[in-house]
Amino acid sequence: MFFKWFPFNFVELSTMARYPFISAAKEWVKNEKATIEEILFDDIYERARGRGAERVMQAVIAGFIKDIPLLSEIDCVMEIFSYPVARMIVVASGSEYVIRRYALAEAKRAYENLKNESINFIEKMADEFGMRINGNRMYFVDYLRYAPTWDIKWKLVNRELKKGEVVLEKHEIARLLQEAIRKKIYNELTYMYPPPEIKKVFGDVIDEIKSRVSFREKENKIEEVDARLFPPCIKNLVSATKSGMNVPHVGRFTLVTFLNAVGMSVEEILKIFSSSPDFNAEKTRYQIEHITGKISGTNYTPPKCDTIRTWGLCFPDDICRRVKHPLSYYRLKRRRK
Amino acid sequence: MNFLRKKFMEYYSNPSIEFPARFDRREYAFILFGEGGMRRHISFLSRDDLLSYLRKNSPAHVYYSSAYYRHPDAGTMREKEWMGADLIFDLDADHIPNAIQMSYEEMLLEVKKELEKLLSFLMEDFGFEKRHIRLYFSGGRGYHCHVSHPDVIPLGSQERREIVDYVTARGLNFKGIVKEKSIPKEYFSDKTLEINPKRGGWSGRIARGIIEFLREVKKMEREKAIKKLMELDGIGEKTASSLYDFLTEERIRRIEDGKIDQSTEFKRIAIPLIKKLSVSMQSSTDEPVTGDIKRLIRLPGSLHGKTGLRVTNVDVDNLHEFNPLRDAVVFGENGIKVVVEKPLSIEMMENKFKIERGVREVPEYLAVFLVARGFATA
Repeated sequence: MFFKWFPFNFVELSTMARYPFISAAKEWVKNEKATIEEILFDDIYERARGRGAERVMQAVIAGFIKDIPLLSEIDCVMEIFSYPVARMIVVASGSEYVIRRYALAEAKRAYENLKNESINFIEKMADEFGMRINGNRMYFVDYLRYAPTWDIKWKLVNRELKKGEVVLEKHEIARLLQEAIRKKIYNELTYMYPPPEIKKVFGDVIDEIKSRVSFREKENKIEEVDARLFPPCIKNLVSATKSGMNVPHVGRFTLVTFLNAVGMSVEEILKIFSSSPDFNAEKTRYQIEHITGKISGTNYTPPKCDTIRTWGLCFPDDICRRVKHPLSYYRLKRRRK
Repeated sequence: MNFLRKKFMEYYSNPSIEFPARFDRREYAFILFGEGGMRRHISFLSRDDLLSYLRKNSPAHVYYSSAYYRHPDAGTMREKEWMGADLIFDLDADHIPNAIQMSYEEMLLEVKKELEKLLSFLMEDFGFEKRHIRLYFSGGRGYHCHVSHPDVIPLGSQERREIVDYVTARGLNFKGIVKEKSIPKEYFSDKTLEINPKRGGWSGRIARGIIEFLREVKKMEREKAIKKLMELDGIGEKTASSLYDFLTEERIRRIEDGKIDQSTEFKRIAIPLIKKLSVSMQSSTDEPVTGDIKRLIRLPGSLHGKTGLRVTNVDVDNLHEFNPLRDAVVFGENGIKVVVEKPLSIEMMENKFKIERGVREVPEYLAVFLVARGFATA
């Protein structure tokens, strides 16, 4: 069943260069029969190696990989080969943070290209990721798997859902594909081992990345957080989450934004969520990083007391009467200490 | 021996149990007569093992897990290893406004209306087919709806939450789905709401709801119509009468074409309408809900210890005709003497009973119901 495996039949080089993670590109690289030795040491692949290192550096530093002009066949070939090179570097860094950041950057780059493609092309790409779409409509199960539903506009209730299909704009399908691509790349890299020779060629690059990462990780160190000073709503959410109860979305959102605002690191927040019955470290981390602005660019603030009350999460004590925001509660109590 | 337990034992000597799919991957749990706690983390390798457990213990309540596990009898979630779960909606009288003032029969009828709404969401919006949906009378104060489509079984709790939020309209962003447009007029601008009854999702439901409501109001006499409009939150007599006068036949046609002028007033109609159109079901944060991927649910065919009624399958097409106080009754007609402590009027097995305090002889099925509900002792 050749066609089943290759939703993109007779894929053009330029397509594979723009979307080097698709199975057709992987197959194409395999058919070129280049060995790892050749890719890492042969002069022919010099450009691919340079671009591979650039992909990783841009991902780590800027969180985004810039497109380069693809004017000739050789431009495309080098761009395609640079992708496996970049992956080897990422895995060799041995850092989970680098894997995550790289996967996201590749996915974002794909999104920027995808949103300008034809709906026909997007349909093929969706097929590649097992997303069932039909023109501009997506099967709701696949929608739920990839949509960032903590954002009100992505909540299913605010979508046109008819006979199991969610009606979407083209750029929205591209956005959901971004998430599918990110997951795929992340999962592949988590289970990949680097070839031993990679450090000979890219030792400097890997060191550079590592130093960048440790610098970033230091930035996140802050003063001790005192959980005894939390307002009752947050205390409740913490204990519900820790005991593995099913906390609604808005509750999780409130909790993460609050903990982030008082200075807890992603790692520490993640620990609180780890006893959830359906805990998925990677997914939860992604959501936390999204809410805390590490990857989305928007640093959400915790909701006001009024909002928390509407959601039925408010269990006020005496101090609550004097504040309108859970953070004010924390600051007030902290000053008193 | 306790009267109820004896009756339950009779039933469990030859019960009509509906065994769940992936039978041996489920956790089973029981509450026995006279025992406070729940016996949990029990699994059965064969159906006969479960049947003989029921025969031996004749439990007051029987549950199984909506989830299935690699090790259903392990004591902790982690050791159980979750493999998937049916999607289950629990519609209970607790979530119906004013349920306290209703009789048992009225309460169940109200819950049935919610169930009908839920079915329309599941089939029209989510596209589930009848063969993936099973309905059960819970034996108590409500109905359960089980969805076992292969694609929903692996869904996590957040995805399930989204489905519950959809049918309960939680997190619905009115401004986002009903677009308001400003139309410039000579010196000022007028606002129009754009609705389309043909659309799917909530925006279509709201549009159809508004049109239906306005048609209904339009048919009424002026005074009645104004009263009806004033029932809505935030609408006073002045607004109501101006709204009514505004509703000419031509305006209604324009609304059906998707344009509502005077948007501010109409938003006041639309927002309370959402509440009416959505399903009233569990939504508070501390209850086990549909979003929960590890909840326990009553076993179809088992008896409910607080009513003596059977958890009974309801045909989706016959939901309207289903009568729990006839179709979920398992006990016979033989006369039994009970001491009635609280008087009660009830229709059961299509017989009307008006029962006064004191020693009374009633059919066995009613005796079980009265004792289980705490209205009488045996």
